[in-house]
Amino acid sequence: MLVATLAASSAGVFAADPEAGRRKSEPCAKCHGADGNATIAGTPSLAGQPTFFTHWQLIKFRDGRRKDAQMSPFAANLSDEDMADLAAFYAAQRPRARSSAIDPAKAAAGRELVTRHHCASCHTPTLAGQKQVPRLAGQDLQYLLKLLRGFKAQTASDLDGTMTMAAQPLTVDEIENVAHYCASLRP
Amino acid sequence: MQRSLVIAVSALLLGAVTLWLIPAQAQQPTPPPSWKQGQPPSLADSSLAPIPQPPAPTPASEIPVNKIKLPPGFKAELWASGISNARTMTWGDKGTLFVGSRVAGNVYAVVDKGGSREVKTIAKGLNLPNGLAFRNGTLYIAEISRISKMEGIEDKLDSPPELLTVYDTLPKDLPHGWKYLAFGPDGKLYFNIGAPCNICMPPDTHANISRVNPDGTGFEYFAHGVRNSVGFDWHPVTRELYFATHGRDWLGDDSPSDRLDVAPKKGLHFGYPFCHQGDTLDPEFGKGRSCNDYVKPLLKTGPHVAGNGVMFYTGSMFPPEYKNRAFLAQRGSWNRAEKVGYRVMMVTLDGSGKVAKYEPFAQGWLQGQEIWGRPVYTQMMKDGSLLVSDDYAGAIYRVSYSR
Ligand code: HEC
Ligand code: HEC
Repeated sequence: MLVATLAASSAGVFAADPEAGRRKSEPCAKCHGADGNATIAGTPSLAGQPTFFTHWQLIKFRDGRRKDAQMSPFAANLSDEDMADLAAFYAAQRPRARSSAIDPAKAAAGRELVTRHHCASCHTPTLAGQKQVPRLAGQDLQYLLKLLRGFKAQTASDLDGTMTMAAQPLTVDEIENVAHYCASLRP
Repeated sequence: MQRSLVIAVSALLLGAVTLWLIPAQAQQPTPPPSWKQGQPPSLADSSLAPIPQPPAPTPASEIPVNKIKLPPGFKAELWASGISNARTMTWGDKGTLFVGSRVAGNVYAVVDKGGSREVKTIAKGLNLPNGLAFRNGTLYIAEISRISKMEGIEDKLDSPPELLTVYDTLPKDLPHGWKYLAFGPDGKLYFNIGAPCNICMPPDTHANISRVNPDGTGFEYFAHGVRNSVGFDWHPVTRELYFATHGRDWLGDDSPSDRLDVAPKKGLHFGYPFCHQGDTLDPEFGKGRSCNDYVKPLLKTGPHVAGNGVMFYTGSMFPPEYKNRAFLAQRGSWNRAEKVGYRVMMVTLDGSGKVAKYEPFAQGWLQGQEIWGRPVYTQMMKDGSLLVSDDYAGAIYRVSYSR
């Protein structure tokens, strides 16, 4: 028989509710879009991201392991239940292409690099993401560039080091090419 | 000071000093991601990838604890749940169970309220705080590059004191950077510094078990050539260190084996990255080496099983033959087509310290190819029953025995 009581501060247990997530996402809409499709360059779209990914990123923002001046305040007071609801809501939204300025030559070079560096084995062959691994296809170009540069410099907070290691072999130019390729894909 | 000592020791042991002064990542022009290193071209299209950690624990009502299979007379119950990513467990003097985590970044205190358990989060946002040890009222916490402490924590569970740094000049690498932490019989804190990769020539500062005094002085390396050991204990009679090590990935489904080792003294080399499982040279780093130059495993525990917790049983609840047996918690494989591990094994040593028996104790977290939990560490309760932590379901089970 189970007899566990949980303090308010501990990780709760609950079933995620996407409808509650829609209501809770109202403050997020001005930056990430009402349906998780952002239009501001440098701000990521959340639509169609796997639930584990969004949930883990929100935990990291709340606990200060990932920091961003614009974003951090909005995660500071989220409960575990809020995060699960928000993640479920965004996962159910259809991602749309961003209006990034793609350089076709760079994107073509990036395609080959994505194969060579096994990006697909974690991000899936269509780069749609899975579980704790994010969708890259059709994500905002400026955002992809910022994050890849951060992983390469070992300054982007990463759950347990897998993505940081994956970015190490990429040169500065290669990061450009890979980002253009990912941004050019239809989400 | 430490660095020059290390270099001297390493040079004696292994030779290639110049290589080691270069950080691991700089050695190859384009290394693949750590977990892919050493993957043969024939496996380039493999879809095997590390198993993701769910961001929230499994609700108690969905944890099928009755699926845990044990020897006759033993029974398992769900002791606590809702503990995201629950891993290492250590007791406070006043009966608080402290629980560490990895990716959740939390440290928890579980208070037994006679029949019910209260779970408090006493630290958040830490950098993979897997290592916990307790002595004289103080909780020690090991993150990636720092060991710190909370003094008098058991009296302040609702307003935990600030973390004071004990030792923070450890490598910052995330891959295999999370630590196991335990007090040795000499009163020193022991912990691992894993290889920052799957397979590579580690820098002189990595792939070892190290120790430091609880006041942060006297840092030294204890065992070398250890890829990553995140579980160890000392034999109750001989006081020797027994430790589990995860073997490298991508050498095939059945190779190499994880291992259980004994380190009766300081300074031994256990083979990584040159020799795996005591008898298999690494296809790349083993060239020109001999496995006879390194300590061989006491026991090959199985390929990819991911041996974490090691704990000698000293309680009185279990039948007398259980005394001084070692429980090995195996978190389970990802780098293998058919999953293995996901169980607690037990090792019986004979009078000369050889392995007399290696057999399953608790299993059932793996059903076919589906997993519902991953046992990571074991800890004894005062009454001699056994706690098993499960980081996947975020739960702790209690195993008891009655005739
Ligand atoms: C003021 C603008 C702003 C608001 C409001 C905002 N965010 Fe963000 N968010 C950002 C920015 C900018 C980033 C990118 C941060 C970075 O560069 O690391 C971000 C990143 C994220 C990420 C990480 C996505 C990824 O692909 O890595 C998630 C998840 C997220 N926000 C969720 C939310 C949620 C949920 C809310 C509402 C509770 C919210 N945000 C409110 C600006 C905002
Ligand atoms: C071993 C698995 C793995 C491999 C291989 C891998 N990634 Fe990742 N990637 C991840 C994970 C996991 C994350 C989420 C990191 C986190 O915050 O914990 C991530 C995050 C990212 C992000 C940040 C996106 C966002 O919305 O926050 C980018 C960009 C990215 N990866 C690009 C790449 C590229 C390009 C490659 C190939 C060069 C690659 N990844 C290879 C696992 C992987």
